[in-house]
Amino acid sequence: MSSITLEDLHKVYGEGGGEEVRAVDGIDLSVDRGEFVAIIGPSGSGKSTLLNLIGGLDVPTSGRVEVDGMDTGGLSDRELTRLRREKIGFVFQEFNLLPVLNALENVQLPLRYLKVNPKERRERAMEALEKVDLVNRAGNRPSQLSGGERQRVAIARALVTTPALVLADEPTGELDTANTCRIIEYMRVLNRELEQTFAIVTHDPMVARYAGRVITLRDGRVASDEPGEDAPLTCDDLKPV
Amino acid sequence: MIKYILRNMWRRKARTFLTVFGIVVGIFALTVLGGLSARLTQQVQGARSWFTSSISVVPSGSGLFGGGENQFFDLKKVEEVKNVPGVEKASAGLGVTLAEQGGGFSFGAPDLLIGLDLSEGSGLLEQLAIGEGRPLQPGDRGKVTLGSVLAEKRDARVGDTVKLRGEPFEVVGIYRPTLSAPDTFAFAAYEDVLPVFLEANPFLQKKAISSVVYVIWEPGADPEAVAARIKDEVEDVNVISPRRAEQQISQFSLIFNAILLGIALIALLVGGLSVINTMIMSVSERTREIGLKRAIGAETRTILSEYLLESATIGLLGGLVGMLLGLVVIWLLNSATASQNVSVFAITVTVVVGPVIFATVLGTVAGIFPALRAARLRPVESLKED
Ligand SMILES: Nc1ncnc2c1ncn2[C@@H]1O[C@H](COP(=O)(O)OP(=O)(O)OP(=O)(O)O)[C@@H](O)[C@H]1O
Ligand SMILES: [Mg+2]
Repeated sequence: MSSITLEDLHKVYGEGGGEEVRAVDGIDLSVDRGEFVAIIGPSGSGKSTLLNLIGGLDVPTSGRVEVDGMDTGGLSDRELTRLRREKIGFVFQEFNLLPVLNALENVQLPLRYLKVNPKERRERAMEALEKVDLVNRAGNRPSQLSGGERQRVAIARALVTTPALVLADEPTGELDTANTCRIIEYMRVLNRELEQTFAIVTHDPMVARYAGRVITLRDGRVASDEPGEDAPLTCDDLKPV
Repeated sequence: MIKYILRNMWRRKARTFLTVFGIVVGIFALTVLGGLSARLTQQVQGARSWFTSSISVVPSGSGLFGGGENQFFDLKKVEEVKNVPGVEKASAGLGVTLAEQGGGFSFGAPDLLIGLDLSEGSGLLEQLAIGEGRPLQPGDRGKVTLGSVLAEKRDARVGDTVKLRGEPFEVVGIYRPTLSAPDTFAFAAYEDVLPVFLEANPFLQKKAISSVVYVIWEPGADPEAVAARIKDEVEDVNVISPRRAEQQISQFSLIFNAILLGIALIALLVGGLSVINTMIMSVSERTREIGLKRAIGAETRTILSEYLLESATIGLLGGLVGMLLGLVVIWLLNSATASQNVSVFAITVTVVVGPVIFATVLGTVAGIFPALRAARLRPVESLKED
């Protein structure tokens, strides 16, 4: 079953004006449920724009986006919000943590919007923090965390709801090799056991190597779409001493 | 949720403080004036039944609240009034101020000794409820009934003898508090008060006088019609009918409440605008955060209620602090005048709760526009904002 279907998708910024930018310029794509896709490409090739369009954060200039069989163009603002809340987990390139909330509270936020009761919320958020190795920083606010720690909080926040589709924009950009491996290992376990679909924008060859499919964008178009190495993960020798 | 909102407010301490302070000032003024107005209302309510249960006939040139001090009736006028059709009883009345040395400013009604023709006027006194002892009866001589405040001031109980203007009177009854003018009055027989009055006014020529005639109308008669008839048939009198008394009384509170309303409107404007301004700034500062929340599934109404709650909290805080400050000032002023046995302010439920509710509603309403702005932000544009 298809998780993401894109048909002739276009996104043009500054349309009609002098400086038209064709950020996404005709993309057709189908991603099945349970796939683990890496999206790579040079800076400015439209990777973030593509994720925003898939996640219903941005409206395409033309074309069609389907997530989980639903045409997002036909959804009302409320239905779109609901789709994001129930089916999608976002990891943003700039983390976007709330500064007045500590790590644990930030991770709990999407569960709050899903009306999960406080006790369960706390337990699940704690579990997610454990997976990204941040239990001991649970009470710290973002300003008291390092860049890599903030990034891991953002990852925990995206995964805590076990969404059917995870859209991650350079989720390991700030992480060292050991942490990157750990995170990818965690994501692949979820991907296999829970059949969650992952679309990960990355510049990191290691991430791409472990993906099941690698899509390369160039100038808003798909330049190549190939199976990845799908290499088995061995983080053990990478564990920090 | 509340914890989160307080944390958000705390991010800009100085700005939040100034906004709250703006509301505090308005609510403080509103509370103090509210206390004043509540006291006035008590007086008006207490005075109403007293002043509207009879028709007062005074010499022309006098009004309900005194006026021409040296204007008196000859007692023959009382008879004339009594002969007007519709008049059941007409009692001569004579008032003597109890302040031995005149002058000196005092709040509220003056202490008065009022003499009444008891055979005619005891019906009038039935308007005042007796708390202790008994009311005056026709034929009582050398006896007095006291208003509650006056009794307390003189430390008098039923059975005691009090000296009023040097004359001893036996206290037979003490009235329940009315929170109004009669609380500082003493009542006695006309015959007992006349000598006191004449002594206080040694230069008077006439010896059989009355400063007011209290008229009780016949059962079933229309007091307004009776009043008009007295005016027609008796010369040189000013007749204050129950309706006119009512009008004069409510005119006081009307003016005062208009002032109160004005203050409330200023508080509304100043406080409201500063809340709107603060909330707009908060929303634009937190555009990114709002975008993030929308992106991870917050409904527009979740955002809306979050910001409304924040501005309501600003209003509530300002309201509470302003009201408490107002209460402190009322309490201080009241205890400063307590030695004179008067209170200028009253603290009622409305005085305490009203301003706080007002401030909270004000904060909420002021938050509507900024909150709508926040809720309508589109996720992706907000997320790209710095
Ligand atoms: N709001 C906007 N208005 C105008 N142009 C935009 C806007 N957002 C993105 N762009 C342009 O669209 C193009 C694609 O941007 P996008 O953010 O998708 O790139 P990216 O592949 O994610 O790059 P990076 O790897 O640097 O994050 C860029 O040329 C960018 O300048
Ligand atoms: Mg990007």
